[in-house]
Amino acid sequence: MSLPTSPFAPSASLPGTGQLVLCLLPPGKQVLQKFTYQYPLKLIAPDPHHASDDKHVTIAFLLTYGGGLVGGDQISLKVELQDATRLVLLTQGSTKIFKSPNRSVVSRQILDVQVGPRAALCYLPDPTQPFAESVYEQRQTFYVDPNGSSNLLVLDWVSEGRRARGESWTLWSWNGRNEVREMDERSRGRLLLRDAVMLHDDELAGVSLLDKADNMGVFGTLIVYGSIFKHLADFLVQEFSNQPRIGAKNWAANDSTTQSENAKEVELSRQREQQDGLLWTAATVRGFVLVKFGATELDGARRWLGGLLRKEGTVEKMFGHQALLCLR
Amino acid sequence: MDARDAETLRGRILDLETQLQTTKALLRRIEGSKLGSQVIGSTPFTAQVSLPLGPSTHNLMLLSDSALPLGSFAYSNGLESFLAHHKPIQSGQPQLSLFHKFLKLSLQSVAYTTVPYAVAAFRDPLDLMDLDNDLDASTPCNVARRASIAQGRALLSVWEKAFAAPAKAHRLEDSEAAAAIEVFARDLKIGVLSSDPLKVNGHLAPLWGVVCLALGLNLEESGYLFLLNHAKAVLSAAVRASVMGPYMAQTILAGHDLQDLIRHSLERVWFLQPEDAGQVVPTLDLWVGRHEMLYSRIFNS
Repeated sequence: MSLPTSPFAPSASLPGTGQLVLCLLPPGKQVLQKFTYQYPLKLIAPDPHHASDDKHVTIAFLLTYGGGLVGGDQISLKVELQDATRLVLLTQGSTKIFKSPNRSVVSRQILDVQVGPRAALCYLPDPTQPFAESVYEQRQTFYVDPNGSSNLLVLDWVSEGRRARGESWTLWSWNGRNEVREMDERSRGRLLLRDAVMLHDDELAGVSLLDKADNMGVFGTLIVYGSIFKHLADFLVQEFSNQPRIGAKNWAANDSTTQSENAKEVELSRQREQQDGLLWTAATVRGFVLVKFGATELDGARRWLGGLLRKEGTVEKMFGHQALLCLR
Repeated sequence: MDARDAETLRGRILDLETQLQTTKALLRRIEGSKLGSQVIGSTPFTAQVSLPLGPSTHNLMLLSDSALPLGSFAYSNGLESFLAHHKPIQSGQPQLSLFHKFLKLSLQSVAYTTVPYAVAAFRDPLDLMDLDNDLDASTPCNVARRASIAQGRALLSVWEKAFAAPAKAHRLEDSEAAAAIEVFARDLKIGVLSSDPLKVNGHLAPLWGVVCLALGLNLEESGYLFLLNHAKAVLSAAVRASVMGPYMAQTILAGHDLQDLIRHSLERVWFLQPEDAGQVVPTLDLWVGRHEMLYSRIFNS
């Protein structure tokens, strides 16, 4: 007689790893089939709420002890959204990247997300905040349905550090890479989109990181993909092309009496953008809309992006107002 | 000395004079025959003139020529937009120093974002298709994408129309590279008809690597030339945008600063895999992307 196999699976958990599997039970209840995490990673998921179209939405907060990564911390989270589920991933405050003892000690955050057919991920976290002499690497890969029915809204942004302490891009290294690939059992899947930013302090020809930043205190990328976000994507492209031309004379500004309320509001938000030193672009790339932005202050960028997403309304409608928690 | 001695000396002079005459006559005869032989061209004594310049050097010169019909002059690679975003120019920061900053940023950015693709394509031309797809996926804005594709396709037609036949005739070409380009060109033409949204694109960097390989250049030359051509395009745009005159531009091109910058940039990205390539100057993406917002423009990027 053979021994009965242990009912307990062998422990495969490593420090900093986590797994989250979201599935849909009939008739329409979303449950977390798997929800595990190990120090220094922590996940919190309140009960799912209903979006305005009566679908379930699950929220998960990605937390780390101490609100950030201490030199050498490694975090690796795997997320799976099964068919037709909706997930909001959030953080509670910026992810601080603390000082490394030396350049070879890398703090790393790896996120692998599988977005199933008709599933939707809304990932609008706070920015990472690399402190002076920090070394950080971030790899985020999103696997989507090859038939194009997955939906993605991903924000990735980084700020200059602790400005109050005089830190402005004094980090040692910050590497961020976001990839969207086709889901494929056998290979890594065809690459659909890659967005990679590398900030290093190694000067070449006397150009420091501060010079490269050109007065910007925050940089970010917003990736928009899928039919749920179609309206948002069109809206962003439209807003971008409606911006005033650079170098053109603004005739409307002097003529305030004839302006409607709407036009005044537009004018006001433009003035605010100018004060915040906000620069942004939107481009349709291979079925995605990719927004890149930079601003002198974090608050300016937060206000601008939150304002845009609220004005358009898809995110609040499909995921609830909680989805914009990090953009207040 | 007496009269007898004088007689001897006179005889000696006569002797020497006869010898001189004979030698001169001999020389004249030899020189005369040599002149004649040069006209006919069949003497084994003429020295061979050797030029240590092979066909690969010839091709290197062709690829570095600003008359190579890639249309690079139409793209400022973000310079025009950069200058527009820094108006009005503050006093104490003349346009020239702004330009120097831009050139440094632009070269580093290109080195980290696209050179790895050119180098990888040179190392393995069979990867051309994948590299083209991955570079397309990694190009974040339409303006840069348009510029890269237009120049890449132009390079492909120059290869097909001008380089392919002589390369084949000289058996100079790396046959694997030439075959890779041929397949790629065919797929590009078929792709126009297909409905797949992710078609073959024809970006410049990977094609550059393979064409250089097919034309017998070595890897170092190909990488260096790619960055040098980029610097030349930015400088020619600066001249056209009246940032500086042509002599100033040539001074910068000839200067050691530029050479060092190209060399050091190349050294840093030499072993960088394409999948680890990325933007090191995030502001550049913003400037290039916002080129479309300029009220008036003279360049395509």
